[in-house]
Amino acid sequence: MSLFQQWAFIVKEALDKSFLVAKFFCGVHVANTYLCSTALVQGPSMLPTFSLTNELVLLERISTRNGKAGTGDVVILQSPENPRKFVTKRIIGMEGDKITYVLDPKNSDSTETVIVPKGHVWVQGDNIYNSYDSRNFGPVPYGLLQGKVFWRIWPTSAFGSIGRRPETVDPALKVRYIFNVYRRA
Amino acid sequence: MSLFQQWAFIVKEALDKSFLVAKFFCGVHVANTYLCSTALVQGPSMLPTFSLTNELVLLERISARNGKAGTGDVVILQSPENPRKFVTKRIIGMEGDKITYIMDPKNSDSTETVIVPKGHVWVQGDNIYNSYDSRNFGPVPYGLLQGKVFWRIWPTSAFGSIGRRPETVDPALKVLEQANQS
Repeated sequence: MSLFQQWAFIVKEALDKSFLVAKFFCGVHVANTYLCSTALVQGPSMLPTFSLTNELVLLERISTRNGKAGTGDVVILQSPENPRKFVTKRIIGMEGDKITYVLDPKNSDSTETVIVPKGHVWVQGDNIYNSYDSRNFGPVPYGLLQGKVFWRIWPTSAFGSIGRRPETVDPALKVRYIFNVYRRA
Repeated sequence: MSLFQQWAFIVKEALDKSFLVAKFFCGVHVANTYLCSTALVQGPSMLPTFSLTNELVLLERISARNGKAGTGDVVILQSPENPRKFVTKRIIGMEGDKITYIMDPKNSDSTETVIVPKGHVWVQGDNIYNSYDSRNFGPVPYGLLQGKVFWRIWPTSAFGSIGRRPETVDPALKVLEQANQS
């Protein structure tokens, strides 16, 4: 074979492999966008449900797309103040609900009441002492919700589902506690 | 070949073809979401830029995703009041801009002034007499913008780009006028 033919053969092989990789990534991307995706969450605003350091969670996209995400769900949403920032918070109220919240629990006990407008949700972090949420940026349009967090996959010591109520005990301790209870029994 | 082997062969062929179609649709979908997409627009709120009846437009996704969509652009966005509804409006102001707008031009001349908060945009329809926009549902978070409309492909009599200013003459008439002149 001439030099050109060999080169053309290599290029064709490379293109074929690249197309295969591209098709694979398209498929993964569509699954991530419409079915289920992973996300890294960090920060103090969802203590003790999520610890300060990185945690890997699974989020499903079907609930938020179909309008089925509701009160108590932990969701990932685009921040209304910065569209490139994604935050993890819990939905406290849906449209029409009357929310009474403590504005600044570190400094005072004053509360405010608000009715969530149509098409919006009210989100708060589980750690209201250190959370920048709807108490600061107001109710969030439902369209900004990206997905509902339903499972934690890392750290493995706290592997398990994310419930509709804030955790009262560090989830990592909870798993060890249940294990010890079973061992003693 | 036995009956089972023939049947297995047909099923395998069907699966291969289905995978081909699925891969094609995945590719089209990724292009639609990240590059360029089409949309059907209708309604009276963007007259005379868009007529009442269905018009097919091209929208590009790169500007909205990168934060490059600005004042004067026609954009498609999710309505803040109904996440399943997509509306087409023009951006009148970005975050920090002071907007003076007429609340209800059909009934009075009273105006209001507002400063667009951080991370939000102010959108209005070109036809302010018949448009449900930021004057009603307030400033829209930038994250709700889906794409920027830049080209109209149907009806062909008004084929062409969508500019940064509202049209003052029906685009279809404008094309006819230019054709008659030359």
